Amino acid sequence: MPHDSHDHTDPPSDLALRVKALETALTRKGYVDPEAIDAVVDTFETKVGPRNGAAVVAKAWTDPAFKQRLLDDASAACAELGFSGQQGEQLKAVENTDAVHNMVVCTLCSCYPWPVLGLPPSWYKSHAYRSRAVIEPRAVLQEFGVDIPEDKEVRVWDSTAELRYLVLPARPDGTDDLSEDALAELVSRDSMIGTGVAQA
Amino acid sequence: MTNSVHDMGGMQGFGVIDREENEPVFHAEWQRKTFGMMMTSLGPFQVNLDHVRSRMESVPPSTYLELGYYDKWLLTLEELAIDKNVISKEDLAALMAGQDVSLTRDTDPFPAEGMLAFLATGATAARQIETPAAFKVGDTVKAKNLNPKGHTRLPRYVRGHMGLVIADAGGQIYPDTNATFSGEGPERLYTVQFHATELWGNDANPKDTVCVDLWEPYLEAAS
Repeated sequence: MPHDSHDHTDPPSDLALRVKALETALTRKGYVDPEAIDAVVDTFETKVGPRNGAAVVAKAWTDPAFKQRLLDDASAACAELGFSGQQGEQLKAVENTDAVHNMVVCTLCSCYPWPVLGLPPSWYKSHAYRSRAVIEPRAVLQEFGVDIPEDKEVRVWDSTAELRYLVLPARPDGTDDLSEDALAELVSRDSMIGTGVAQA
Repeated sequence: MTNSVHDMGGMQGFGVIDREENEPVFHAEWQRKTFGMMMTSLGPFQVNLDHVRSRMESVPPSTYLELGYYDKWLLTLEELAIDKNVISKEDLAALMAGQDVSLTRDTDPFPAEGMLAFLATGATAARQIETPAAFKVGDTVKAKNLNPKGHTRLPRYVRGHMGLVIADAGGQIYPDTNATFSGEGPERLYTVQFHATELWGNDANPKDTVCVDLWEPYLEAAS
């Protein structure tokens, strides 16, 4: 087993003890407010997640003017829908087309567009994904069940700076009659990272 | 630290990508607390994200590989608390052992509503710079062969390789100096597109490319 699967195991009790000791210290010294900790955690557990990004994608599929604004300035376009903030100050939307399939990674740590996708899944932070995405993206995509034809470009975006990338997946065929809300249901988290495609 | 294992792009041997269906945002209470503490304490600690990244990648390579994701966050927080004289190592150990220690309040935390407002607003790394751009979209550039001892965001796998400038993101805080509090020293940031064959050789698909965001000091004109 790779060594990066600790997120899947029960924490050794010393981790819980260490966190409790540190929280006690930081709280009593006035460095953190436990209510602020809970509020931040709650935000990412219940409010900010890939449903935000899916709403952005669905709107881009149905509103060409919005799509253009998204491609021009994704932070401003996402803010129109109320999605903004840390790790999304400089969002870039990259569009999948007949010629290009986009895929996002952070090889150096785990940078991710929080306001539209929430916190990253464990696999995005894994050593396997971070190492392989740039050198063998097609093998990675195959593991995710995505087959890109040999003559189509796979374009990998390595988030080495403070720009954060959101893949705008292609709208599935046969969805002309669907409402924006129904379309959003087709947009998976992975399709916005580029390790998946939106499927009807 | 620069040439360490955190710079993973192109490494081999980590195996298949382990995925979990319907994964929760956090897997344990200690991870929730660790995330929340990191988010709320960076301000009071007076440290920036580049400094935190620099610390996390400076753990010994074997430790980096063994520790889980939030384990590294926790270790970094403990080190910061000790380095910033918030608590001594001994007192932290005593608290862990269930003993009481004397701790006097020396600052006021960010309240919850202020924290949520900051979360929703963010703080951009973009900065106005007056220096004219050395490169423009369409230029072919070469990533320099740099091996600094300090923090950098120039991945090893692009060093010495040629790519095409496809975007100019303007001035951005320069992590190499910001990480050590030597100033934001904003530099122009470019998105550079490399052919997979340039990076990995002729076995790569000639159609494929990798786009990397690189600051001007990482780049030189291709000759």
